[in-house]
Amino acid sequence: MSNSNQQEIMKKFKYIFLVLLVAGISACRKLNIPPKNIIQDPQVFTSTGGIQAYMARLYSELPIEDFRYSPDMGLNFFWIIKPTPATTGEALSRDQGGSTPENFGGWHWDVWAGNYTTIHDCDYFIQTLPTYASTYTPAQVNAWLGEAYFVRAMTYFALVKRFGGVPIVNKVLNYTPGSDVTDLKVPRSSEQAVWDQIGSDLDFAIANLPAVNSDYGDGTRANKFVAAAFKSRAMLYAGSIAKYNTATLFDAAKNQLCGIPASAAAGYFQKAYDAAKLLDGQYSLYLSAWSPTDKAAQYQNFVNLFSDPASKENIFVREYQYPNSVHGYDAYNVPRQLMGPNGYSSEVNPTLDFVEKFGGLPKNPDGTLKTLDASGHYILFNNTMDLFANVEPRLRASVILPGDVFKGQNIEIRRGIYTGPVTGGISPLLPAGSKSQYPTTNLVVSSNSGQTAYKLPDGTLMNPAGLSGVFTGDQTCAISGFSVRKWLNPNLATSQVLENNETQTWIEMRYAEVLLNKAEAAAELASLGQTGSINTSDAFTIVNQIRSRAGASLLAGAGDAKIDTIRAERRKELAFENKTYWDLKRWRIFDKEQNGTIYRVLMPFYSAQAGKYFFDQRTDERNNVYTYDTRWYYEQIPGGAISKSSNLIQNPGY
Amino acid sequence: MKKIFYYSALCLAIAITSSCSKVDNYPAPSDTLSGSTIDEATGKTLQTEVGGGGTRVKLLETSYSANPVPIYFQSKQDGTFNNTKVFAATYKVSVEGPFVPIVQTDNTGTVVSDSSQTVVLKGSATVNFKVQPFLRLEWVGTPVVNADKSVTVQVKITRGTNIPAYQLDVTNINLYVSNTQYDGSNNYDPRYSTLTSYNGSTGTALLGQTISITTTGGALPDQDVYFRVGARINAGLNQYNYTTPVSAH
Repeated sequence: MSNSNQQEIMKKFKYIFLVLLVAGISACRKLNIPPKNIIQDPQVFTSTGGIQAYMARLYSELPIEDFRYSPDMGLNFFWIIKPTPATTGEALSRDQGGSTPENFGGWHWDVWAGNYTTIHDCDYFIQTLPTYASTYTPAQVNAWLGEAYFVRAMTYFALVKRFGGVPIVNKVLNYTPGSDVTDLKVPRSSEQAVWDQIGSDLDFAIANLPAVNSDYGDGTRANKFVAAAFKSRAMLYAGSIAKYNTATLFDAAKNQLCGIPASAAAGYFQKAYDAAKLLDGQYSLYLSAWSPTDKAAQYQNFVNLFSDPASKENIFVREYQYPNSVHGYDAYNVPRQLMGPNGYSSEVNPTLDFVEKFGGLPKNPDGTLKTLDASGHYILFNNTMDLFANVEPRLRASVILPGDVFKGQNIEIRRGIYTGPVTGGISPLLPAGSKSQYPTTNLVVSSNSGQTAYKLPDGTLMNPAGLSGVFTGDQTCAISGFSVRKWLNPNLATSQVLENNETQTWIEMRYAEVLLNKAEAAAELASLGQTGSINTSDAFTIVNQIRSRAGASLLAGAGDAKIDTIRAERRKELAFENKTYWDLKRWRIFDKEQNGTIYRVLMPFYSAQAGKYFFDQRTDERNNVYTYDTRWYYEQIPGGAISKSSNLIQNPGY
Repeated sequence: MKKIFYYSALCLAIAITSSCSKVDNYPAPSDTLSGSTIDEATGKTLQTEVGGGGTRVKLLETSYSANPVPIYFQSKQDGTFNNTKVFAATYKVSVEGPFVPIVQTDNTGTVVSDSSQTVVLKGSATVNFKVQPFLRLEWVGTPVVNADKSVTVQVKITRGTNIPAYQLDVTNINLYVSNTQYDGSNNYDPRYSTLTSYNGSTGTALLGQTISITTTGGALPDQDVYFRVGARINAGLNQYNYTTPVSAH
């Protein structure tokens, strides 16, 4: 390198340095200018469009257990193959092997940070909107604030029903880099304080929201009565925990993080009752296609209830839209013979234990389904539906029974063909209560859907298993003998039964639940001797309203409307709506129902020689045992949350 | 130019590799904490189940913080415990399981008794806890193989504590059958085990008596089979007290 060359290079460096310096300094001056690529408060809060965008975010974060929820995968996930009903005993699923707490490790939406993000977003909105209040009418401002309080209440509700007392954060926490973070490590409040926070947030929403949401009046956004409906649910949960919970946890300052003093129960039940009462006359049970005498009409009415957008029973719903927001309910849950092009089907197979809760079935004295005659032989039927001839229409609208019609097809469910002798009656294939496999003699079965037909004595051919199962080697079928009916879209072409392709509306809150909340609260208050501020005939009237719509037999007298009757009615009415999971939890009976429990199934067989069907009831052939761990009533706070905020005390037993 | 390039390359290399050389030179935990949970009346270690549903040891590292996040490890099935990977430190040690709690609080959160033990761990330490089990289960005789190859066992269940708050009704008495000795509510063969739930005081009425329980589901398979009886009251975390596991042979 020559000297002159080097000098030139040095010169170049000087220029480059100068340019950098100028650029650097001039850039410093511009740091005060708001970045153009980030939306600022004024852009959001000065237009109704901006507010709507903010609300869209709040509502999309709203933690409700809809079509996109499962205990295993959490909220807002598409792949629902361990469905909630398979954790409650309502159903069996090939992918769910027993009782389970929610699996937060598998959650694709962080239960802790996610919910606190939503609470932050509500707090920010509540703090910021008043600055821009002059842009709008007071009515608009109050309504939007009411919605933010509503969403915040719902989010605390999602946390408290899982963890008990959680940190209450009602203002935006700001972190300045380098500053002390002690104040940001908000400790858990008492469980009671969180339920009271939910109550007061919802009271604010009830007081400030209009009767019809002025932005969206279709039930997708909150109004006064939506807030009241959820208040009835939340306060009923709180009362149940005060009454039935036994686990306790205190922090060093003696705040009760888990559990509520029993003395608070009546107060919560009264609040639940009063909140439900606010909806009187505002909504009604769906009866558009109903007739008091026609069972077919009652069935169709209960089916339509879940798809009629004009239903006056819908209080709060979540809508879906292709392709932005979709789910795959039908793809995962249609009966096997209607399986869509990308597979799945039959994830929710109702148990016999669940089906037996309904009326109109022949029963033994112990309440089990009657499938044997007086001599201990199987009762024979011409068609599988004959057993269910008088069943209450609500069951058919909730569960596809073997041989019932769906999408114009007979849903064929058969475990196998019995080829043995029939003279003198067919004796049970297994001793009562046996958990063994079925014998291989005298039975023809299919291991999968590629079946070899069996030649019946009359020469006709019959597949050993039905088109929807039961297959011995492929559990993608009706493993319980039943398939779910509720929510399925009867008008969806099989070619369209695909994952991420379904858009039917999720009804998170319907009037039937509000009525049942009111009935339960009334019965609980009566059991606590607190009948001063309730109408004691409410529970009886409500159960009969619900039963009448369902086509079920009515209660004879007010004395029959006991707590257990109301609970049973609730489990039938709200089945497969992801509500029973939380009910079993708050009643603290999950561990009693799932205590080494193997759920029961109903297997239809065809007798080749008799030319008739019979039913064998037995325990789940997979011998899947459900044992609910009482620790799960208060779920484990994610370790990551405790690492970040060491003030959080873990729940007992983890 | 080249020099500048080499110098900057060298600087970069040093910067990058120096971050790699920062090894975690804190010695791995190697101290041992062992001990057992002992039924104070019989002097025997208290049977429990393996896995999350049994007795566990709670460590509070008080030399690290006045209010530390607790560390837990599980006890073995026979009621002994042994952890060889513990940091040397001062710990407040207690056990949690199907017995009267070591740390008792009343219904307002006030600690009414605390028999946790403080251990200055350096090398190894042994800590034993004398506890009152909710229920005490003892075999009566040995399992009897019946003519149909099912098996009948006899067991006697008594209360392990006089404290009224823990004299609750017996809710479950279960005979667990398994092909391993790690037999318990989380590991049993549902085809042969006999599970019984009791309402009200019907289960409690069986206390002090010799109870016979027969396996369910007919003939047991021709293989090693272990029997264990578990019973519980609805207290604490609703865990079971157990007999020892026994084999039919």
